[in-house]
Amino acid sequence: MNKNNFFFTVIFTFAASFFFVFFLSLADSLTAEKTAANTKMSFYAAFLKSAGIDYEDKYETEKLFQKNFPAVAERVQDDTGEFAKTIKTTVNGEELVLKLFSGSGLWGTITGVIAVTPDLKTIKGLEIISHNETPGLGGRIDEQWFKEQFAGEAIASDDAAVKVRKGSGGSDNDPSNSEVEGITGASLTSASIQTIVNNVISGLAKEGI
Amino acid sequence: MNSSAVKIFKDNMWTNNPVFIQVLGICSTLAVTNNLTNTLIMSLGLIFVTAFSNFTLSTLKSLIPDKVRMIIQTLVIAFYVIIVDIILRAYLPEISKSLGPYVGLIITNCIIMGRAEAFARSNPPMISFWDGITSGIGYMWVLMVIAAIRELAGFGTIFGFTVMPEAFTKWTIMVMPPSAFFLLGALVWVSKSLILKKEKNNGA
Repeated sequence: MNKNNFFFTVIFTFAASFFFVFFLSLADSLTAEKTAANTKMSFYAAFLKSAGIDYEDKYETEKLFQKNFPAVAERVQDDTGEFAKTIKTTVNGEELVLKLFSGSGLWGTITGVIAVTPDLKTIKGLEIISHNETPGLGGRIDEQWFKEQFAGEAIASDDAAVKVRKGSGGSDNDPSNSEVEGITGASLTSASIQTIVNNVISGLAKEGI
Repeated sequence: MNSSAVKIFKDNMWTNNPVFIQVLGICSTLAVTNNLTNTLIMSLGLIFVTAFSNFTLSTLKSLIPDKVRMIIQTLVIAFYVIIVDIILRAYLPEISKSLGPYVGLIITNCIIMGRAEAFARSNPPMISFWDGITSGIGYMWVLMVIAAIRELAGFGTIFGFTVMPEAFTKWTIMVMPPSAFFLLGALVWVSKSLILKKEKNNGA
């Protein structure tokens, strides 16, 4: 049969699409469990890290999470969406408020966890769970040096709780100035982070914790 | 067969390199090369996808109707890219996270479609597979050279390990996309002059 025959063309296209898509959905459902477990672990890890709790193995994050946040641990067993709550907890004798946040970055939603003191005067830590920023530019918000800048940072009492300055290639080591260094070449992502963090903090202030 | 395999290897590595001679895959060359780890994973993904899509398309070539040729090529390429994405998400979540949207963007790398059209369509499966691997490696080594320079100058690190002294002033420009243009341009210049010199010597 001529392979350029109209009916063969239609049938071949249909069969090829069916075949490849079938294998894709097969691969997807075979790995679905593992992927879901990874997502869950990244949530646990973000909560622990922002609260300043160290862990060595990512497989122990679930246990540590249940130990440190017993009140919420039960609810998150089967659905990561349940995390969208404000968590009050005590870590190493210090009271903390943890908040799962999400807001729009340059290309997509940035999700993360922020830990603050209950008096809303100091940020204890910030972790990014997922983002779609440009790799190598805005994507660097997930790098250690950037997130570390938030740890211990004082929250200013005026409109902008924390300012993300124009990046100059270094990081801001002064925790009292309520400023962190942005990412060079990623001004829009840096500005998004500023907006997101400030919204979360003013949201917490309104909630009145 | 053997001599043609060697010729394909040489072509893809040097005389007809996909990046600096064919000038394909430039978008990703500019985007991912400020970090060696990302570059390595991206290139490995590309090698995998080019090799297997070449193999698959070459196997199917006598069946694929001419009218829908491109659609089938895209379908096969997309299939392998999504497989890479699924594997990364399940088994290497940290890398999947740091590459973000760029795994999906392997689809748009012109090298894959270029090899499918130019090579796999008219050659048997095994040699097409080899062509895919070598094209991918040809892409990889160029990107690794650029990434090594950019990461070293821009961050003072190699694969994330600090190698430069504390007092080293980071070249901020190296982190940003324009530096990849400069480096790529310089690389095209160097390799082209070497190739031309050799041709001239051979001609004389």
